[in-house]
Amino acid sequence: MNNHDITLKINGEEHKVTVPANRLLLDVLREDLQMTETKYGCGTGECGACTVLVEGNKNICSCVTLAATMDGREITTAAGLEKDGELHPVQEAFIDEFAVQCGYCIPGMVLKTVSMLTENPNPTEEEIRHGLEGNMCRCTGYTKIVKAVQKASQIMAGSES
Amino acid sequence: MSNFKTVGKSERKLDARGKVTGKTIYVDDLQMPGMLYGKVVRCYEHAHARVKKLDLSKAAAYPGVIKVLGPEDVTQKEYNNSVIPLMVPEEMQQVLGDIDDQKIFTKHVKHYGDAIAGIIATSAEIAEKAAEKVIVEYEPLPVYLTSEESRQPDAVQFVEGKPGNLAFELPEPVFPNNTMGWGDVDDAFEEADFIVEDEFYVPKQKQCQMEPNTYIAMYDEEERLHCWTSTQMPKSVQRTLSKLFEVPMHKFKLHTATIGGGFGARLGMILEPEVCAMALAVPGRHIKLQSPREEDWLTSPSRHPGRYWMKIGFKNDGTPVACDAKFVSYKGGYYLDGSGVAYTTGGWLSAMYKWGALRYKGETYFTNQPICGAFRGYGNPQTNFAMEQLVDRACNKLDIDPVEWRKRWHKDVGDDGWCAGVPLSSCALDECLDRGAEAIGWKDKRAKYAKQSGTIRRGVGVGVMTHTSGASPMLLEHTVSTVKLNEDATAVVTLACTDMGQGSHTTLRQVAAETLGFPVEDVYMNVDDMDAAGYDIGAHASRTLYVGGGSVKAACEDAKRQLFERAAGILEANPDDLVMEDKNIFVKGSPDKSVAAEEITKAGVYNFLNPETGGRDKEPGQIQGYSSYFPAHNSPPFGACFAEVEVNTETGEVKILEAVNATDIGKAINPAIAEGQLDGGAHQGFGFALTEEMYFDKDGKCLNNSFTDYKMLGASDMPKMTDILVENPDPYGPFGAKSVGEGGLVSPIGAIANAIYNAIDVQITEAPITSEKIVNALKNL
Amino acid sequence: MNTRIMPEFDLLLPETVEQAVSLLDKYQDKASIISGGTDVCVAMKSGYRTDFLISLAKISGLDYLEYDPSTGLRIGAKTTISQVLSSADVKTYYPALWQAASIFATPQLRNTATVIGNLLRASPAGDCICAVYALGGNIVLQGAEGQREVSVDEFWLAYGVTARKVDEIAIELNLPAPVKGNRSSFKRLTRTNEDLAKLNAAAHLEMDGKKCKQARLSIGCVAAIPMRLEKTEALLKGAEITDDLLEKIVTNVGNEISPIDDVRSTAEYRNQVAGVLIKRVITQACCKS
Repeated sequence: MNNHDITLKINGEEHKVTVPANRLLLDVLREDLQMTETKYGCGTGECGACTVLVEGNKNICSCVTLAATMDGREITTAAGLEKDGELHPVQEAFIDEFAVQCGYCIPGMVLKTVSMLTENPNPTEEEIRHGLEGNMCRCTGYTKIVKAVQKASQIMAGSES
Repeated sequence: MSNFKTVGKSERKLDARGKVTGKTIYVDDLQMPGMLYGKVVRCYEHAHARVKKLDLSKAAAYPGVIKVLGPEDVTQKEYNNSVIPLMVPEEMQQVLGDIDDQKIFTKHVKHYGDAIAGIIATSAEIAEKAAEKVIVEYEPLPVYLTSEESRQPDAVQFVEGKPGNLAFELPEPVFPNNTMGWGDVDDAFEEADFIVEDEFYVPKQKQCQMEPNTYIAMYDEEERLHCWTSTQMPKSVQRTLSKLFEVPMHKFKLHTATIGGGFGARLGMILEPEVCAMALAVPGRHIKLQSPREEDWLTSPSRHPGRYWMKIGFKNDGTPVACDAKFVSYKGGYYLDGSGVAYTTGGWLSAMYKWGALRYKGETYFTNQPICGAFRGYGNPQTNFAMEQLVDRACNKLDIDPVEWRKRWHKDVGDDGWCAGVPLSSCALDECLDRGAEAIGWKDKRAKYAKQSGTIRRGVGVGVMTHTSGASPMLLEHTVSTVKLNEDATAVVTLACTDMGQGSHTTLRQVAAETLGFPVEDVYMNVDDMDAAGYDIGAHASRTLYVGGGSVKAACEDAKRQLFERAAGILEANPDDLVMEDKNIFVKGSPDKSVAAEEITKAGVYNFLNPETGGRDKEPGQIQGYSSYFPAHNSPPFGACFAEVEVNTETGEVKILEAVNATDIGKAINPAIAEGQLDGGAHQGFGFALTEEMYFDKDGKCLNNSFTDYKMLGASDMPKMTDILVENPDPYGPFGAKSVGEGGLVSPIGAIANAIYNAIDVQITEAPITSEKIVNALKNL
Repeated sequence: MNTRIMPEFDLLLPETVEQAVSLLDKYQDKASIISGGTDVCVAMKSGYRTDFLISLAKISGLDYLEYDPSTGLRIGAKTTISQVLSSADVKTYYPALWQAASIFATPQLRNTATVIGNLLRASPAGDCICAVYALGGNIVLQGAEGQREVSVDEFWLAYGVTARKVDEIAIELNLPAPVKGNRSSFKRLTRTNEDLAKLNAAAHLEMDGKKCKQARLSIGCVAAIPMRLEKTEALLKGAEITDDLLEKIVTNVGNEISPIDDVRSTAEYRNQVAGVLIKRVITQACCKS
């Protein structure tokens, strides 16, 4: 199996790593770089616990992404949303609306929300629910997660105007 | 009751900030120096077989493999992944017939994915590749997927002492004729004007907590065995593993980790025995065992599937004169909660309505399905699916509004709850029904949907439930807590109650703060120190707030009493006359003369001898409150769920349009957290009713152990939910609180089934109610 | 299988199509091509093995989506489902493809999975396959000997098997320019909204007022490969679309298919409901201007 030297810019910091061909982006983050905020949930791209953002806003599943194909890319994880101790409005909204229970899906859920609201700052409830597909939660029935997305949308609209 | 400082407020969850940034650590996130990786080799060729030959030599020789373990290389003692047997006296275990029938690695494969060997290697990849080098020869055995097959006289016996593979039936000494109930059911049916009866099928539903199962274990140089686990029940698991590996309890350190969901799957053990066996085989090294998602369906317990036959006799005025029921469940390969679910399923049936007479039989048979055990609701969903549909069928015949019938015939304060001889302490089901009906527009919608034709039809349905708050007096209920007051008058509460994510540590902290009279910010919850924490049976039976909260409250009352006694000495007053505001203590009505709590707590610690008198000016000693708490009751909660659905009669598609989940909570300590339980419960209840089920081929191979084919409702499948918390304080619960953890799952099942019935005038007796079954039923009308 | 662990292989990252083609020429059936790679990762975790993965990641210029009213739509090998979804032209002129893209898998997978990757998967449940089959068009294959075009009508040969030879790369999908009266639509039935189809169907109609001049109907999950409903198409051709005709179609479709039971549904259900789904896609196509 061949190895690949790659550079990933993760949460603004550059990381040079040598990865074997079969290394998944998820494992580079979790095992090689100890960034455990990105979770293994199913390994088949169904549950979204491993969601990261690529090039700022594109949400993908890192569990089905070969690290060597991501050379030179910018990656954002949930930890990267917090800036200088200030939470991202989406993170604040998830706390305020009690959208967090066991928390395992939450890093992915928060990143999905950031991605969704960047593309569509003022989504309808139906659009929110459709957009949340691909991120599974077994605790909340999605009720308070939907409310958190709505609240984040309002906060972000307010801060921009 | 409205002068609470924090009880009743939706305080922020303690763990939320760590979870939104991903900084919270789950077991899988832990990396230990020099850590090794374990792999359990499983049988995927057969669901029932004997291992004739196991050759681990090629795996052992694979570079990077540290050790291989076959069935003989680990303890030969048998165990039971469920810890339920710890909760009853040993004599009762004998009566119930509870058994230990699991081995760490087996030579008798009893289900698809059963464990046959272990590998320890320097990386997970190496362990995986080495597993491919294991050579096994099997003698295939007949596969029994249902009790109808495994109970046949010539069937292979799963264990000795369970003839006919009957794992459990209600035991004769406690339940004459192996039945639970009252009155003469046969005579009572004679008085019935009509009877409704049917046979129902209830599915093998899986908890699917989002965190897969990962463990770490290590046997250290002081001969202490460590295990990092996300179990719901640390103390019970410690006790069970300590016995299994013959390690004294003080030499067994269980490290609790953040639990990424439980729902009963982690009620007891999953792979703790395997990882501990690996650690004992390689002393001094941490072993990480990461079970991939697809194994979760095969290795952790599911809900008990099976056939539920039920018959109810009614008088024309609606009186339910008799109920006769039998639940035969398919146990899976091992015993686990064999006695528990078969019993409680009947308990919930006995607790709901004022049956004139009741006869319930519960039997469970070994089969070659993966194991069954605890799952949120614990037998209640199965009963709800059958009972609530039959009640609505009767209401149709009677031409009585299903809400009105339920209000008339549900059990009430003073009637026995699920446990005979323990009368209900409080019940606000009528208010749940009234407010729920109003919220969904019940009367208008029932009238509107009474006569429909065409392809798109709507229906609205109701389901009710009663559950429990802790399992007392049937099972041991006991929680120890301590509260230590620091020098600066802040408090640390230490206990072993786990928080599966639902927020129990946050609500327990509110109970502590309210009792102490401290601000919540001044209370720290020390919940991950299992050496320091006293006994707690673990999170099951919706008990954590009710029993754990009762314990925390008692410990904090103890601490506060000590604080007030010292204050009384300083203020020269009677402790009973004292009150505390802003952490200043004074005689009620006389705030001018006060003593600060901090003055007392500080003096208790930094207590110096007076050089002049040689004595102590203030009372010495750090204040600690303590409670070893056994609850006096089980305060059953009640609840009503209303759901509105749209059914397409051509395709059988069902869309849930709206749902209201109303619950009789006693007192909501943290309303937002309580709502979260209703929301999540409804999601799992709707899933039970509509989509969730494990499937097998005829050889017992599981066909859908993946999220691709085990379908849970997604965000866009879920309706808008309205939660109603009906507060009617219970005399026993802390601050009047009753449980909310499990019940929210139960009544949504009846509500959905009855809404579909209302829409299409036909009942689907097999869950999940798929489009295929609906189309079929409509075709056969 | 283990969904945490990928088996071993060599990953090759050519920088031009020519390099990719020559690698394929060299390794033949020992190599697989990936773009997003999501399908292959999942397949490899569940037992699929290949010695070489040739990733298109470093080849630029393949992620185009170009619409020309006279020549139609060109979709490159690296064009993702999300790109299709954000194209107003696709939404306007090829609604069946847009609708299939809108429910395809999940947002995450739409961001990495490609339209051409879905076509190459040759699964009878493929949503883009179903839409593209109805829309008609060509797939451009490039091998060492040059390019050739294969009509979608001849592209899917068996479960997982396409007309692509082992040393060819599917480089582009061409969909024909919409003619006057062009309508199309896609629908599917699933267990939950996010799911693989238990039945999917697409209709591509050329309408003249209420009269249907030409029809292409495709349906998935009723055979080893997606299929055209040619007998039903014949009923539509030249006919006015009336309720009576639709009801006739509902009953006719069942005679044209022979589905099986699987984990997602039953043969009986598929037989009974396929006609309803076809009625829906026809109706939906007609309703759209």
